[in-house]
Amino acid sequence: MTAARAFRPSFDALAELVAFTAAGFEAEGIDRRLLPVVDFALEELFTNVVKYGRSSADIRVELRAIPGGVEGSLTAEGVADFDVTRAPPLDTGLPIEQRQPGGLGLQLTRQMVDSIEYEYQDTQRRSRVTFRKTLA
Amino acid sequence: MLKIGFGAEGTVVIEGRLDAAQAATAQAFLDGVNGSVVLDCTALEYLSSAGLGVLLKTQKRLKAASGALRLTGVNRHVHDIFRYAGFDQIFEITAAP
Repeated sequence: MTAARAFRPSFDALAELVAFTAAGFEAEGIDRRLLPVVDFALEELFTNVVKYGRSSADIRVELRAIPGGVEGSLTAEGVADFDVTRAPPLDTGLPIEQRQPGGLGLQLTRQMVDSIEYEYQDTQRRSRVTFRKTLA
Repeated sequence: MLKIGFGAEGTVVIEGRLDAAQAATAQAFLDGVNGSVVLDCTALEYLSSAGLGVLLKTQKRLKAASGALRLTGVNRHVHDIFRYAGFDQIFEITAAP
C-alpha cells in the first residue's frame, strides 16, 4: 500500500502536506517516532521545488511503509534538472557573522535520512526524489 | 499553525510549527524585539530550515547591538535540527526537561 496525493506548488499547501503525512503514517502503520524527520524532509524537498522548480504542475508525494521504517518520494514535472543529493555542502561550523541560512534544508535532510536518491527524466522534465528512514 | 507573542516578564513565547509557511509571521514579530531576549520554545513542535533562517537573522541583528536570543524549553526534534545545523554553537539553548 502507498499513501499518495498531489499538492499545488505553494507554501500555502504545507499545512495540507503535514496533514497528509500524519494520515499516511496512520494508514500505513508507520512508527510515529519517524514523523518529525519525515515532516522535515518532505517540507524541505517540497519547498525546494516550489522556490526553484518554476512549474505550475502539482507535486506528487508518496509515502509507504518499508521494513522498520518509511519511504517517501516527491515527483515534480516541468522542472529543471537539479540533483538535490549533490547540492554543495555548507560549513556548519562557521561563526555567526559568516552564517547564511540558504542550502541548510537540503543538507540537513541528507544528514537526517538513511538514504536519498534522485532521478530526472528529460522528456517530461520530471524529477523524482526518494528517501528512506528507519528506526535503526 | 504558529502563535508568537509576549509571555510573562517579557519572554517571547512561540507555539506550533515554524515552517516555510509561517516564517514571515515569526520574522515580523521578532523584527520588533531588542536587547537580550528569551524565546520560550516549550510549545514549539517543529522547526524547518525556514525557521532556522528566521532565528539566525534575529540573532545576527541582536548580537550586532550587544543583545542575544536565548532559547529555552527546546524539544528533542528541534534540538537535533539545531545541532545538525551547528546552531548550538551560536545560540544558548536550554533543552526541555
